[in-house]
Amino acid sequence: MILSPPTLAEPQYFALWERLLFAAMVLASGGLFWRRFGPILHKILESRKDPDFHLFPIGRRVWDFFWEVLCQAKVIQQRPLPGIAHAFIFWGFCAFALVTLNHCAVGLGIGFLSPDGPFGRFYFYLAAAFALTCAAGILGLFVRRFLVRPRWLGQKLSWESGFIALLIFLLMATYLSAFFVAETSPAARILWWAHTVSLLVFLPIIPHTKHLHLVLSPATVFLSRGGFSQIPPLSGDEDFGLVTGKDLTQLATLQAYSCVECGRCTEHCPAANTGKVLNPKEIVLGLRGYLNEYGPRSEEPLLGKYNSQEAAFQCTTCGACEFQCPVGIEHLPMIVGLRRGAVNTGAWEDDHGAKLFLGLERGSNALGLSATERDKFVQKQEFPIFDGSQEYCLWLGCMGGYDPKGREIVADFARVMNYLGTSYGVLRKEKCTGDPVRRLGNDLVFQQLAESNLEVIKQNKVKKIVSICPHCVRTIQEDWKEFGIPPEVEHHSEFLARHVSRLPKPASDQEKIVYHDPCYLGRYRNVYDEPRTVVAHAGTLVEAPRHRERSFCCGAGGGLAFLGEETGGRVSSVRATELLATGATTVGTACPFCNTMFRDATLALGQQGSAPAQIIDIAQLTARSLPQIPANTAG
Amino acid sequence: MKIIVAIKQVPERDAPVHIDSAGKWIDEAELQWALNESDAYALEEALQLKEKHGGEVVVISAGPERVGSTIREALAKGADRAIHVESDDLAQRDALGVARLLAEAIKPESPDLVLTGLQSDDLGYGQTGVILAELLGLPHSSLILHVEKTDAGLAVKRELEEGWFQEIALPLPAALTIQSGGNKLRYATLMGIKKAKTKELRKIAASELRTGDAAVVTLERIALPQKQKSTQILPGTAKEAAAALVEKLKFEARVL
Amino acid sequence: MSGIFVVLEERDGRVSRPSWEAVAAAQELAKKTGQAVTAVVLAANTEPLAAEASAKAVSKVLRIEHALLTPYTSDGFTLALEQLFRAQAPDYVVFPHTYQVRDYAPALAARMGQVLIGDVTGIGDGPVFVRQLMQGRLSGEYRSAGKGTCFVSVQSGAFRVEQADRESATSETFAPTIDASQIRTKPGAPFRGSAQTVDLGSAPYIVSVGRGIKEADNLPLVQDLASALGAELAASRPICDSGWLPIERQVGSSGQTVAPKLYLAVGISGAIQHLVGMKGSQCIVAINKDPEAPIFEVADYGIVGDLFEVVPALTEAVKAAKQ
Repeated sequence: MILSPPTLAEPQYFALWERLLFAAMVLASGGLFWRRFGPILHKILESRKDPDFHLFPIGRRVWDFFWEVLCQAKVIQQRPLPGIAHAFIFWGFCAFALVTLNHCAVGLGIGFLSPDGPFGRFYFYLAAAFALTCAAGILGLFVRRFLVRPRWLGQKLSWESGFIALLIFLLMATYLSAFFVAETSPAARILWWAHTVSLLVFLPIIPHTKHLHLVLSPATVFLSRGGFSQIPPLSGDEDFGLVTGKDLTQLATLQAYSCVECGRCTEHCPAANTGKVLNPKEIVLGLRGYLNEYGPRSEEPLLGKYNSQEAAFQCTTCGACEFQCPVGIEHLPMIVGLRRGAVNTGAWEDDHGAKLFLGLERGSNALGLSATERDKFVQKQEFPIFDGSQEYCLWLGCMGGYDPKGREIVADFARVMNYLGTSYGVLRKEKCTGDPVRRLGNDLVFQQLAESNLEVIKQNKVKKIVSICPHCVRTIQEDWKEFGIPPEVEHHSEFLARHVSRLPKPASDQEKIVYHDPCYLGRYRNVYDEPRTVVAHAGTLVEAPRHRERSFCCGAGGGLAFLGEETGGRVSSVRATELLATGATTVGTACPFCNTMFRDATLALGQQGSAPAQIIDIAQLTARSLPQIPANTAG
Repeated sequence: MKIIVAIKQVPERDAPVHIDSAGKWIDEAELQWALNESDAYALEEALQLKEKHGGEVVVISAGPERVGSTIREALAKGADRAIHVESDDLAQRDALGVARLLAEAIKPESPDLVLTGLQSDDLGYGQTGVILAELLGLPHSSLILHVEKTDAGLAVKRELEEGWFQEIALPLPAALTIQSGGNKLRYATLMGIKKAKTKELRKIAASELRTGDAAVVTLERIALPQKQKSTQILPGTAKEAAAALVEKLKFEARVL
Repeated sequence: MSGIFVVLEERDGRVSRPSWEAVAAAQELAKKTGQAVTAVVLAANTEPLAAEASAKAVSKVLRIEHALLTPYTSDGFTLALEQLFRAQAPDYVVFPHTYQVRDYAPALAARMGQVLIGDVTGIGDGPVFVRQLMQGRLSGEYRSAGKGTCFVSVQSGAFRVEQADRESATSETFAPTIDASQIRTKPGAPFRGSAQTVDLGSAPYIVSVGRGIKEADNLPLVQDLASALGAELAASRPICDSGWLPIERQVGSSGQTVAPKLYLAVGISGAIQHLVGMKGSQCIVAINKDPEAPIFEVADYGIVGDLFEVVPALTEAVKAAKQ
């Protein structure tokens, strides 16, 4: 006996009352959906327009949509197993679009896909395959949420997630079961109604839960600002950042409603991982809560009932949250926006913050030291002064100009440049690039610093800057754009990697060096390989468990290096422990802040007799193998 | 309370010090300017008093056009309005002459309290506030760290030498010179700067103010002091170095 | 006109040390102008002060006595001295540049149509008076127009007190007319900053200890030095982190910012986090065995040596100097 392959049993005939009932249910379901979704859509549209939003160039948006939404790339890459499960569910939904349309059409008597026809047969089998994977996926995620219970999904069990999982499973099960019943049997009809009820119950639940992301996230990804940690410029005299609901823009509102509550942002947040109040997921959900209660036109302060000032100022701006988010939420503009709202209006009262701001109001560097200190250093090192004729301007920055360790790094990098015969000079006067005040939200001081520096750069005809500090690099390249045209700028790792073949190798390259990706070089600038090239040249490269775009912050960013003592555990200790657990005795850094943070942390850790780990910048690793030459032979 | 705060724009701390061609003052070409440090504390004290007791804070400053930026900074920090006594030749006046200019501009305001910083970062006379009190006929006290309003007037905390303090009671109206460090300064905010644009800044030409009288004391000549600041490493045995250090601290640094 | 007057100031019932330095300055001025020096004392009872003053090399001691001159008030002193100076018309009046003088002398000078030349560090021919400008980065010569009394105050430590021969000076009393209603300020009794908590911010001398001390048991060594100097004890972060000293004594970016007259850094390397907390100190002394320690970059004076030898030696030297 030849078994004929099963076909989907579509009930062919519905009585008029059944069709009417179905139509009524559709209307009711749709109505309930709209009753909740309508106001949300309204809130999004009612929010302030993003002043810097440009739909074009559209290529980037189309690509992001394709890659992140359709291919589910971020979802899978950052959490593979649950990611694949989710991807199957998503693809299942996509595949089911036509199925669902047809299903409803059948209910109204106008079904258009025949299960016997060639296309119908093919398509329904295809959908069946997706239904299987989807069902497996939802089952897997159910087990994960309710049995495995990873901590970043939160302590409370989400019954709504359980219910939705059930509905999705039912949808798939009813579909698949319909292959094994006869078209005319009552079973087929029951399955059809079961599927319908599941569908029509699911629909209105969507806007009431985090499953709103089904509708919103494709748009969120498509419409995102682009770039990374793109802080929008302030628009007009009344704009001080995110102070009240009136300052929330359409993008911010859209993103607040798109949050899936997956907790990927929290999982990687250095503050959340060291017992601080800050939890990036709660920042986004806090905005959502605010919007639900007060709406986007409200004058209630954003930092109040739903979000706290304390949390907003615990952020190191490492970007792990924004980087991870699978639905395109941009956390950093939100957090920096909240900080701006507090600082630009004088509502933030913090002794260390005030000291930093007051110091930069009248001085030239974030450390509050006299500029003559930098002059003394430049003189002592006999750095050539930039006069417009050299190729590079070596930017010292605050750490390179004033911090003893930062100065060592700069001096070693200069030695390497001398060895290579690079033409470079150092500016006579430099002011802080403004990174810490920018990340803390002080637009007044930032503007003053950016404009002042841009003027000096223009006067001195600087074309290319090379810097040892990723914060300087980022601020010069991106943040200064708001006030002028910054020159080309690169980080010293990029420079060194280009020239590494001309540099002598050390006598022995057995030294195990664990490289730590700085946030502002890795996630912010996408520079991962160049510093590794340099490290591998000097020794044996060892990777930390969390590396490359997964790198865990040293704790200094976001202006926090200049603020007071942290609450909870020390971020730097957590990371230092992780780095040293690799067995390497040397930590290779590419940022003077990371260097300083780890030095303090390893000293604290290494009290038990054993020699503390060495924290060495890549410039120093390189300079170690140079022949001893006088301080300045090139210029 | 109507509080007048006299502020001075001075060269910023890191300013390069080069004597100009005339030999009477430093070359101002490359200088950047800032609000005098103790004046910032005077302004802060005034703003805090206003926040507690209501009233108005008026800043007054004498000097050329460039002084306007510092005045606006004070408005941005919260002063309500400002008076700019325009004068291009302040250097020709002595402390009494400058105080007379300010006093003439202040008299019509009939303030309850006049505050100045303890001393300026450039000339460092530390006299303007005290002379102002004399010219305005006001009781005064100096080196003030803290001001409280009382029913009878004011109770202020005055700094004495070597870690001692003293409370002084005085009636209003009065004048005080404010020491640095008594309060936490507030930082300038974007909102403050934007608001400052709409605040009143009244200009009075120095010539309009009746002050006459040539300077009694003149600064004849300036010079770079022989000793530049550099680290002196004291050599020798522990005993020798220790003895040398005490010598230096007593007579060179004059801190012991 | 009647020569050079020096106004002596009282501290704890005796003439204060800066006053003797003012006398030395007046005597230096006297050498240039060929005039006599008269010491002036003011108080409710000037007997003890006058007795001290007459043992120094001054020609005359002028005693201004009035009940309202003790305690010191600006109104009282200004009224009394104005009356004296109008009566006696001195050519010069020399004051010590103390907080008290700064409180009344400018008003006194203004009342008499003069301007005080304050914080003088040297006297040149003319005479011209030298003082520091731009926080010590510039020095300037000041001259008085010549009509009327010239008021000058001299910086503490600028003029060395010479051991003068005992000369018996003549004494004169002056009774000013002061009414109670003319004293507008009411001074309270002097008090120290709160006894319980540490107030590093107002301490004029600070001895700060760092990792070089090695163990908590070695702290008494540095405490002795601090006591000898009359200084507060402070520390860099690692010392407070280890619990050897309370957190209130921490100086640095996550502790206190201080700017005392004298900051003595013992066994502190000078990491940036510490430097930002004390760089504003008037005079910085560093003791460290590492000649390359960054602290030496900001120090005015440094001793490269073993602190376990240098600190006790310094304690002895300080004690000896204070006698």
